Amino acid sequence: MFIGHFTEEPWQVPDWPDEWGTGIHKVSNAEYDPYRAANLYNRYLDEKIYAEEVGFDGLMVNEHHSAPFCMNGVANVQASILARITTKVKILLLGNILPIHDDPLWLAEQLAMIDVISRGRLIPGIVRGSGGESISHNIPPHYNRERFEEAHDFLIKTWTTPGPFRWEGKHFHYRYVNPWAVPYHKPHPPIWVPGTSSRETVEWCARHRYPYVMLSTQLELTREMFKIYYETAEEEGYEAGPQHMGYMFFVHVEETKARAMEVGRTLTQGVRSPFDPGVQRPIPWIMSPPGLNSRKAVALRRQMTAPDATGKTRAGALASFEDQVATRGMIVGTPEQCVEDIRYIMDYLRPGIIIFRTGDGAMDHESQMRTLKLMGEEVLPAMRDIAKELGLPGPYEVDPATNEPVTALAS
Amino acid sequence: MTNSPAAFTEETVDIAGISVQLRSGGSGEPLLVLHGELGVPDWLEAHELLARHYSVCVPSLPGFGTSSFPDWLMSVRDLSAWVNWFVRECGLATPLNVVGFSMGGWIAAELATTNSALFSKMVLVGAAGLKPREGEIWDYFLNSAKDAFQQSFHDHESAQYLKYYGRDWTPDEAEQVETNREAAIRYLWRPYMHSVTLPDLLPAIATPTLLVWGRQDGIVPISSCELYQQGIANAQVAVMEDCGHMPEMEKPEEFANTVLGFLKG
Repeated sequence: MFIGHFTEEPWQVPDWPDEWGTGIHKVSNAEYDPYRAANLYNRYLDEKIYAEEVGFDGLMVNEHHSAPFCMNGVANVQASILARITTKVKILLLGNILPIHDDPLWLAEQLAMIDVISRGRLIPGIVRGSGGESISHNIPPHYNRERFEEAHDFLIKTWTTPGPFRWEGKHFHYRYVNPWAVPYHKPHPPIWVPGTSSRETVEWCARHRYPYVMLSTQLELTREMFKIYYETAEEEGYEAGPQHMGYMFFVHVEETKARAMEVGRTLTQGVRSPFDPGVQRPIPWIMSPPGLNSRKAVALRRQMTAPDATGKTRAGALASFEDQVATRGMIVGTPEQCVEDIRYIMDYLRPGIIIFRTGDGAMDHESQMRTLKLMGEEVLPAMRDIAKELGLPGPYEVDPATNEPVTALAS
Repeated sequence: MTNSPAAFTEETVDIAGISVQLRSGGSGEPLLVLHGELGVPDWLEAHELLARHYSVCVPSLPGFGTSSFPDWLMSVRDLSAWVNWFVRECGLATPLNVVGFSMGGWIAAELATTNSALFSKMVLVGAAGLKPREGEIWDYFLNSAKDAFQQSFHDHESAQYLKYYGRDWTPDEAEQVETNREAAIRYLWRPYMHSVTLPDLLPAIATPTLLVWGRQDGIVPISSCELYQQGIANAQVAVMEDCGHMPEMEKPEEFANTVLGFLKG
């Protein structure tokens, strides 16, 4: 079992107007206060250092663009810092938005350096990104998937093939690929891919045997996506297992249930991710510009996230905090109560990777530190026991690429 | 306004490497119509008025309407090359007259810079292709499909706006709009709706040119009209008052008369 920590690192300000919502492609950066930002960035880094100390296996970092709900515009900056200020934890990027890079060679070298400085602790996950990211960097959304796949192939070749070599693709062209830095981890750092409900992505992931991490999705939908992974793996001639499956969900732990409900509620307040339950979705033609997703994919996603007979959307689009807690979309309670709910999830989904999303929304630093302490003392050890009991190896126990046990040296 | 039934044919033909949705009507010398980035929804009243004098040919460009969309078409220059191929394979006698709307105007201008023998006369209507001196080309992709049509018309009570755009769309119509947006985004994404080299090539154009612009064009600012006029020797200008980016739909009769006056003059 691999247990990771994640916060979206939202902009926090006491007087954020309701009408600004998530702020994505809506609010001018004239509102960015560098002094406040300095405190927030350093706070989030402090929390990550503490998360390592209390026993998390990985620190997940992501990025979004023109998006106050995620202060991290460049995941690799934070990953670089973590490479030096942490010592044993994995640095999980979920991830670099491959299609928005016009120069993936530069990206390959950045990631290689982070992997080397951290002595092989980098997991350079990759994503396609939403339309907003394409708009922010003026990258053609209609070539998003092509650019994702070509940049991926280029990264792998650059990390595994001695240079110099030439790359003449459709979207990327180099006459001299020979970055001095190559990764520490051989043959190359492990790639993971996050997802929400794209069938094309989960199939692609399964074909490459990359761990697939569902982000804050409803349990039933998550299991269906895992099923697609298992089926695709079978078609590819291998057996998928927990080491290929990841799931992220909100967790807040306190000494009492009442306190947990009171403080946990702040996860659903403040400047929030547009992808979360209960948050007004951002402008559709920005999030999904023409050609970003195939018509087939759009239709499938609509089908997978359609409301059920009672009118409730399975993605829980308008779920209240109480609804989310009741449906285990958010795990909020005492350590014992949280462990009980998490056991249910582990049994239901059988993931080898679990990522706690915590300290998010409007939650303050003290509350996050308090919950991290309880997680480390009571929740994580219990989860490791449950994982053993249920047979849920993580990708650092069973190699997703080979299904062989991972040796201490390789991990 | 014509009350006669639309005398046109609509067919799907394999030409120049793609399956083309082709609307045509009228008789006489050929007149090629190159539609804009929103596609063309029908055999329009303006086409009909022009077809009384010319053999009007309106292909849906690759990716638009029901025309196919091969991967190799990636830019307006590619599209221009395709139009040249289309004209030859159609057997249209050259030089021929051309009317290009917005993106279609840009295509015609690109072709005219490379081949002065292709067009006898050229009409550019609210033509994209140049970075405006004042203002910016409206961003289709930061706005919804509905907004695009609203922005394209000055008069939201005009008959063709109400007929085609200013109402709820059927699912098929909505799908077609999305198909057209998918085509437009591939041709126009960056540099957005303009070429960085076209301004320097405009003096190469020897084709007699009329520039038609709606005074209230909300898509391509009228300052682009001035740039075209400065770049193309002896270009004439017809500014249509109280009119937006689609004069052919907003004021079909005035538009057709303006074009016919130039072509026959």
